[in-house]
Amino acid sequence: MASTAMADSRWIARGAERTPLPQFLLWLAPWAVILALGIYAAGLCLYYGLNQTNLDNRFAFGLWIFLDLGIIALGAGAFFTGFLVYILKRTELQPILNSAVVLGFICYSGAVAVLMVDVGQPLRAWFTFWHPNAHSMLTEVTFCISCYLLVLSLEYVPILLRNRQLRKLPSFLVFEHQLHKLVPVLAGVGTLLSFFHQGSLGGLYGVLRGRPFAFREGFLIWPSTFFLFILSAIASGPSFLILVTAAVEKVTGRRLVPQELFQRLGFISGVLLAIYVAAKSIDTLIWLNVTSPSVGFAPWQYYNYKPFGLPILFLEIVVFGLLPAFLLTYRRSAKRRGLLLSAAALACAGILLNRFVLTVQTLALPTLAFDDFLHYTPSWQEVASFGGVIGYGVIVYSLSYRYLPLFAQSKGENTHVSGS
Amino acid sequence: MSARYGMAIDLDRCTGCGACMVACAAENNAPPLPQATPRTGLTSMLVRQVSNGMEGAARREVFIPIMCMHCEHETPCVSVCPQQAVEVDKATGIVMQMPQRCLGCRYCMTACPYHARYFNWWDPAWPAGMEKSLNPGVAARMRGVVEKCNMCHARLHSARAKAAAAGKREIDPADYIPACVEACPTEAIRFGNLADENDPVSRDAHSPDAFRMLARLDTEPKLYYKSKEAWVRELAESKSGRGPEVKHG
Amino acid sequence: MKVTRRDLLLLGAAGTAGLVVTPVPWKLLDDVSIWSQNWPWIPQPTRGPVEVKQSFCTLCPNGCGMRVRMAAGWPVGVAGVSSHPISRGALCPLGYGAHQLNWHPQRLRTVRHRANSSSWGEARAAFAKACSEGRIAIVDGQPGRAASSVMKTFVQKRDGSYRVALGPESQALAPYEIWSGVPAAALGYDLENAQTVVSFGAPLLDGWGSPGRFTRLWAERAAGMADPQLRLIQVEASLSGTSLSRTAARAWQWVPVRAGAEGALAAGLARALLDEHLVSVSARGPMPPLTVAQAAEQTGLSTGAIVDLARTMIARPPVVAIANDGNPAIAALNVVLGAAGARGGIVRRSKHAESYASAEGVIDSARAVLIDSTVPWDFTPKTDAEVFRFAAWDGGSSKADWLLPAPGFLEELTDVPTAPASAVETYAVAPSLVKAPPEVQSAAQFLGGIDPASITVEKIIHTRCDDLFRGRAGTLHGQEATPVAKVESVQKLEEQLWKGAVWIGEPPRSGDFRCELKEWPATGSSARVVNRSSVNWSRAWLAPVLPPLVSKLCQESSLREAPERRNS
Repeated sequence: MASTAMADSRWIARGAERTPLPQFLLWLAPWAVILALGIYAAGLCLYYGLNQTNLDNRFAFGLWIFLDLGIIALGAGAFFTGFLVYILKRTELQPILNSAVVLGFICYSGAVAVLMVDVGQPLRAWFTFWHPNAHSMLTEVTFCISCYLLVLSLEYVPILLRNRQLRKLPSFLVFEHQLHKLVPVLAGVGTLLSFFHQGSLGGLYGVLRGRPFAFREGFLIWPSTFFLFILSAIASGPSFLILVTAAVEKVTGRRLVPQELFQRLGFISGVLLAIYVAAKSIDTLIWLNVTSPSVGFAPWQYYNYKPFGLPILFLEIVVFGLLPAFLLTYRRSAKRRGLLLSAAALACAGILLNRFVLTVQTLALPTLAFDDFLHYTPSWQEVASFGGVIGYGVIVYSLSYRYLPLFAQSKGENTHVSGS
Repeated sequence: MSARYGMAIDLDRCTGCGACMVACAAENNAPPLPQATPRTGLTSMLVRQVSNGMEGAARREVFIPIMCMHCEHETPCVSVCPQQAVEVDKATGIVMQMPQRCLGCRYCMTACPYHARYFNWWDPAWPAGMEKSLNPGVAARMRGVVEKCNMCHARLHSARAKAAAAGKREIDPADYIPACVEACPTEAIRFGNLADENDPVSRDAHSPDAFRMLARLDTEPKLYYKSKEAWVRELAESKSGRGPEVKHG
Repeated sequence: MKVTRRDLLLLGAAGTAGLVVTPVPWKLLDDVSIWSQNWPWIPQPTRGPVEVKQSFCTLCPNGCGMRVRMAAGWPVGVAGVSSHPISRGALCPLGYGAHQLNWHPQRLRTVRHRANSSSWGEARAAFAKACSEGRIAIVDGQPGRAASSVMKTFVQKRDGSYRVALGPESQALAPYEIWSGVPAAALGYDLENAQTVVSFGAPLLDGWGSPGRFTRLWAERAAGMADPQLRLIQVEASLSGTSLSRTAARAWQWVPVRAGAEGALAAGLARALLDEHLVSVSARGPMPPLTVAQAAEQTGLSTGAIVDLARTMIARPPVVAIANDGNPAIAALNVVLGAAGARGGIVRRSKHAESYASAEGVIDSARAVLIDSTVPWDFTPKTDAEVFRFAAWDGGSSKADWLLPAPGFLEELTDVPTAPASAVETYAVAPSLVKAPPEVQSAAQFLGGIDPASITVEKIIHTRCDDLFRGRAGTLHGQEATPVAKVESVQKLEEQLWKGAVWIGEPPRSGDFRCELKEWPATGSSARVVNRSSVNWSRAWLAPVLPPLVSKLCQESSLREAPERRNS
C-alpha cells in the first residue's frame, strides 16, 4: 500500500508503510474504550474518594501498588538499554532503543497517573518535595521517579520531533539535534536515577520492621530487597522489550529487528536472571533462618495459608526464575523463537509474582498473635483504572509506531514477514 | 524536662465494655460512618476479643484494647512517611500525626505492625445539626488522610494553656488524662509518665506480669499490658499467627 | 534582529530565576497548600466559650453522675463524676455517646397519629376524650421520679391504673415483696459487703447497674486474682458457636447450664445446701421439690458438680444470688442461703417505698394507655386500648396509635431516684443542660396541660428537697461529703443538688426485713431463654436508639453486635 494515498500520509515517514487510517482507527477503538473506562473509574475515585476501591485499613496497598511496581520493573528496559548502548557501547542494541524509550515513558507515566489516583489527597503530592523525609524510601522513590519521568520525556521528545511534519520546523529540528547530543548524558542520569528508585521500591518493603515477612537485613541502610529489586528489574526489562517487540511484529506483520537482537537481549536477561535467582535464594535462606526467627516469626507461619503456601516460593524462584534463566542463556533454546518468547514471558511473570507477593501477601499475613489471614479482591474501579493504563499504553505506542521512526535504524524496516 | 507518656493496661480488668472506644471517638470527632465496616472504620481505640481457643469450662477470653503504641525505637511509621507528616514529639514521646500534611499514601499503615492506623475512606459527615456536638479542641479530618491515636493531644494543649495561665512551667498531671483512660470504668487503662520512676505506670511497666505486643520487633512500644494469666501474656508474640479472635456483628 | 537560540535560552533562564525571587510562586504554593488542607465541606466544631456543667445521665434508671462540656450552649463531650459515691466517675459506652443523641436522625419531632402527621392539639383532644370515656392506664419506666408522681396523681384522680415496666434488676426483687410484704422498690443488693456473688445469667459486668458500682468493685477485689476477695460465679447457658458473655468470660467461675434451667439449678443448689446441712438452721428455707439428681438432669451438670457448687457458694460468706428476671426459684435460694435481709445479701434500703403494679400483664378495662418515654422501646402493652406513646426517638415498628415527641437527652429537668439495685437510698436532681426544642413535650407536661391542677415537676422536686432537709438523715456528696444534719438551710441543700451533688441515705441495717416462705415457689414457665451470649445490653436501658458513636462501635469493629430491636 503506497503511503501517499492515506489521509494522514503527511505525518507518516516517507517510504514507511502503514495500514490505512480507517483500519488503524479500528485497531485503536477498543483500546480507546478501555482507556475511557479507565478514566471514568479513576474519575470516580477522585470524586468520591478511595471508598470506591476495595482497599481497606488492612489492605492499604492493593492492585494499584502491585501494578505500579510491576510496570516500573518491566519498564526498566528503557534505562537499561540506554545504559548498555551509550555507556557500555553495545551498539548492536541500538535498533530497539527508541521503542524502549517509548515503552519506558508509557510505563512510568502510567504508573505516576495511577499513583495520583491511589493517594488520598493528590493535590498534596508536592508536599513530599517540600518536606522530604530523608529516612523514607518513599521520598527517594518520589524524587527519583519524578526526575526519571522528566528524563524519559526528554528522551522521548527527540523521537517525537523526528516526525515528518514536525521536522519541517527548523527550530524543532535544531532543538532535536541539540537534544540528541544530550542523550548519552540523559542515559547516564537515567541509569543513576533508575538504579536508585528501582532499589528504593524494593527498599519500601525491606525496611518494614513491622512486617517480618517483608523485612530484610542488608548493607548499611539498604535492605537486601533494594538490590534484589534492581537485579530483577534489569533482568526483566530486556525480556519485556522482547515480548513487546514480538507483539508489535505480530500485529504489524513485519520483522522490525533482527532475530539476533532478540537473542542478545534474551541472553542479557537470562544472565541477570540467573544472578538474581542466586542472590534471591541466598537472601531467602538468610531471611527464613535468621532474620525472621530473630524477631519471633517462624518461617512456617507464612506459608500455612492456602493458596499462599510454599509452592508460591517455588514458583517464583524455580519456575519463573531458574527455568527462564536457563532457556534464555542456553543457545539451543534461545535460538527458537517460541521458546525464547515463552522464557521471556516466564521471566516477566516471575518479576510480577515477586511484586505481588511483597505487596499483597505481606499485608494478608497476620502480625499480632490474634490477627487473621486476610483476603482482598480489587473492585472494578481498580481493575478498570489499570486497564486504562494498558489502553493508554497501547494507544501511545501505536501512535508512536505509526508516526515516528521507532525502528527506523533497522535496515529491515520495510520487510514483510511472509504469511502475515 | 521531657516526659515519656505511656500506658499500662491491665487485661485482667478489662471487661470489653467499649466505653473507651466511644469516649475516644467522641473526643476525636470521629464520624459515625454508616457505610463503614470493621476494616474500613475509624477506630483509633479498638478493643479486640481473644479466646484461648478452648471450649466448655476451660474456655477463657480476654479483651485487648489496641491503639497506637507510640513506639520509641525506630518508630516504623515515622521513618517511612515521605513528607514527615508523623513525628515523635521529643517533649512527650507522643507520636504525632498531622492529617493536614498527610498525602494519604498509606505507607505508614503498611508499616505499623499493630494495625493502629486508620484511613479516612470517606469524608466525615454527621446527621444534620450533630456538628454542634463536635469537640472544639480537635479538627475534623477530611477524607484521604491517615489518622490514629495521638494521646488526646488536645487535652495536653489545654493542660499546658491552663498551667501557662497560672504562671506555671509544668502541667498538673490531673489536667491531662486521655479520654480512654478517663472513660474506663474499671481503671484498666492507666496513663502516666514512663520517665518518672515513681509513676504507677512506670512501676506497672516493670512488673513481672507486664508485656508489650510484638516486643521482639524492637519498636519499643510505650503501651504495656499486664495479666496474671500466662496464656494472655503469650499473646504478646506472634505464634501460629492464626489467633482465635472472637468476632460479633 | 534575529532571535537566536541563545536569546531564547537566556530569556528562559533569566525569567525563571527572576520569578523565583518574586513572592509569586511561593505565595501560590502556600495558597495551594492551605487550600488543599481546608476543604470547606468538612464540618467544623462550634466555636464559643467552653464551660463544664454537671448533671446525671438519664438513659437508664442508674443515673450515673455526668459532667458535660458545653461550647456555645451545646454539649460537646461528657465524662463521669468521680465524687459520685456509686458511679465513681464511670459511665457506660452509651453514656459517652449520649450527648449526640438529640441529633439522631430518628429523633421524633412531630406528633404522629397512626403514620400520619398530627399535632399536639389533636393529641390532647384525643386523650382528653379518652379520659372522659373510660379509665386510663399509665406505664412508667422509671418510677420514683417527680414526673412519676405527676403521672400517678393523674390516674389516681381518675380511678385509673399506674403500672411500671421494670428492668431485670428490679424484676428479680419482686418475689421478696410477696414473701415479706416489703415493696420491691424498697429492696436492694448489698454487693459491697458480699464475698460471693452467684449470678444466674445477670450481666453483672456489662450493663447491670451503674458500671462504676459492681464492675469497679469486681475490678478492685477480683480481677486477675487467683483467690479473689469477691468471688463472682456466673451461671449461664453457653450457646454453641458464640462466645461467652463478658461476665462469664471474666467471672471467677463459669457454670454452664442448659438454657432455661436456671431455676432447676437454684432448686438443686438449695436442696444440696439443705441435705448436706451446709446452711445454718436459722436460715433454713423451704425444701425444694427437686432432688439434686433431678436438678442435674435438667441442668446438664453432674450431681457432684452441683454439690461442689453448693459448697463453694457458702465457702466465703456473705453470699447472694442474683437473677436476671423474676424467677422466684433464685429468690428462694437466697432465702435458703440466709441472704434475704442479711448483710451482703438482699437488704431493705428505705422505709417509704411503695408497691407497683407491673405493666407486663394484660391491661384490660382501659380506654387508653399512656406510655412514658422512660419505658423501654421493646415494651408492647398487652391491650386493645388506644396507646399514646411518648418517645424522643422513633425506634421503628411501634404499635402505638399516637407517637408523641418527648424531650431528648438532658433537655428537661428531672430527678434521679434510687437506682434499682442500689443498697442505699439515693436522690439527685438532673437539671436540663440544653433547651428543649419547641415541638417536644414530656408526658408530665402533657398531663399538666389536660389537668391544670397538677403540680409541676419543678415544684415536686422542691418539695422533695424540703423533705430531705427536714429528715436530717443521710449525706450530701458534692465536692465533699456533708451530713445533711450539718447543712444550714434547705436552699443550700437544693443549691448543692442542682449543682450535681447526690444525696445518699443511711446504710441498711440487717434484719430490716424478713421473708416468710413455707413452700418452694412454683417456677412456672417464666424461665425464658437466657440472653444471647455476648449481647448484654441491659434491658433497663430505655432509649429506642443507640447513640451514633455506639452504633459506630458495633459497625466499625467486631466487638459487639447491635442489640436486637435497637435501630442504629
